[in-house]
Amino acid sequence: MDESLLVRKIDWGTVLDHIPAWQADRVVKLLSLEHLKRNPDVSLIVLQNVPSKKLGRKDIVKLYHYMVSREEAGILALIFPSITINYIRDWRVEKERPGIPERIVGRIRCPETSCVTNLAREPASPKFTVLQKYGVIQCMYCDTLLEIDRIPDYLV
Amino acid sequence: MSGSQAEYRSTLLGRDLVSCRDLSLREVSEIFSLSNQLVRGELRLDSALAGKKVALLFTEPSTRTFQSFYMAAKTLGAEVMSISDPSVSSMAKGESLYDTVKMLELYGAGCIVLRHPARGAAKFAAESASIPIINAGSGSQEHPTQALIDVFTIWRKRGSVDGLRIGMLGDLRYSRTIPSLCQLLSLYRGVEIYFMAPQLLQVRREVEIYLQEKGVTFAKIDEAEEMKRVLPRLDVLYVTRIQKERFPDPTEYEKVRGSYVVDASTLSNCRSDIGIMHPLPRVDELSPEIDSTPNAWYFEQAGYGVPIRTALLYLIMGGK
Repeated sequence: MDESLLVRKIDWGTVLDHIPAWQADRVVKLLSLEHLKRNPDVSLIVLQNVPSKKLGRKDIVKLYHYMVSREEAGILALIFPSITINYIRDWRVEKERPGIPERIVGRIRCPETSCVTNLAREPASPKFTVLQKYGVIQCMYCDTLLEIDRIPDYLV
Repeated sequence: MSGSQAEYRSTLLGRDLVSCRDLSLREVSEIFSLSNQLVRGELRLDSALAGKKVALLFTEPSTRTFQSFYMAAKTLGAEVMSISDPSVSSMAKGESLYDTVKMLELYGAGCIVLRHPARGAAKFAAESASIPIINAGSGSQEHPTQALIDVFTIWRKRGSVDGLRIGMLGDLRYSRTIPSLCQLLSLYRGVEIYFMAPQLLQVRREVEIYLQEKGVTFAKIDEAEEMKRVLPRLDVLYVTRIQKERFPDPTEYEKVRGSYVVDASTLSNCRSDIGIMHPLPRVDELSPEIDSTPNAWYFEQAGYGVPIRTALLYLIMGGK
């Protein structure tokens, strides 16, 4: 089935393509639905388990009137290495394979409850170093490791 | 300091010591060299920090670390500001670590020695303060000054650390000394580390990754029979306390506890000159029957707490 038959093209926004099948909900979670809801012009379309030449089956997330930030794109690429990001401005499409970030600041909570970043009243913002080779990110304060595929569970 | 070393300046001057990862081999050698002179009585640093203030901020119980830092600061002639009972300080009213550190800095502290139950507390304090922070234990994360004492002991007893085979036995998962010790040992050539613990208490993966990245040879051993095979190869056996409460099932604890007690029969399976170390306090993992053997290094090890911490305060605070 051609996905273009399901949803019309968009003139402005972001299309996240080549998401592994049935993983779109984690992508949306990562983009922070609450954040998206604050913008009344944003529309969100999720396609799940559509045919794909590259992946066999895939998910697609279309965001009308929302440009995914570089930071968000980097985290998405870390969790879903197959993802491609299409930025659309006035119907013009710029395809991007985002780079993996070396550090992630402020977006992810440390899984270690005794980490200083989890203490009430301490103005310590969580920071992580990406250790892609080992499939983990590491808290820059307490050294605790978090597996990359568990990141969506610890989003701030 | 007297004589030709009067102009001595260290790369450690004004620096934090949050982690042993902060130290180069040259800096460690510098700390050891100064500590060694203190131990041998070849150097006196009385009044080297006269007019300076050292703040001891201990929000978790401590005997050895607190006392040795206190004595080190006093030996150097510094004034000591101490918060060692947070229940009677403003921290009991909910004052944050951030505010407490800022306050101590405003009161003129030249350095803050921090023990805190939160992992990452020392790094956060170091980012918050403009004066040096020395990590005296950050939860189960790290205890860098203990590691300096440990490796100094090995260096003094063996003359070198390169190429040694070091076993670590006990609770390696929740011990804060183990990560720091591993980081420090990774600075030396050809060191081999054997982690001997039940699976539940094996060394944390971040420590494994660190050692892998540094190219250090290590092995994890969780079978009692395999431990017996490794023991005769070791130069040093570093023992940590296994806490019963770490085991969800008490019968599991009873099954393994015997394998983690070092006694005369353990020694009979080791090289005759093996060094037995322990950060103390011990409970029953080290039998008193080995206290009088030349293999028992742990009291001497504890004794190096003051000279190592004296040297460290001197180098970081720029003693005269």
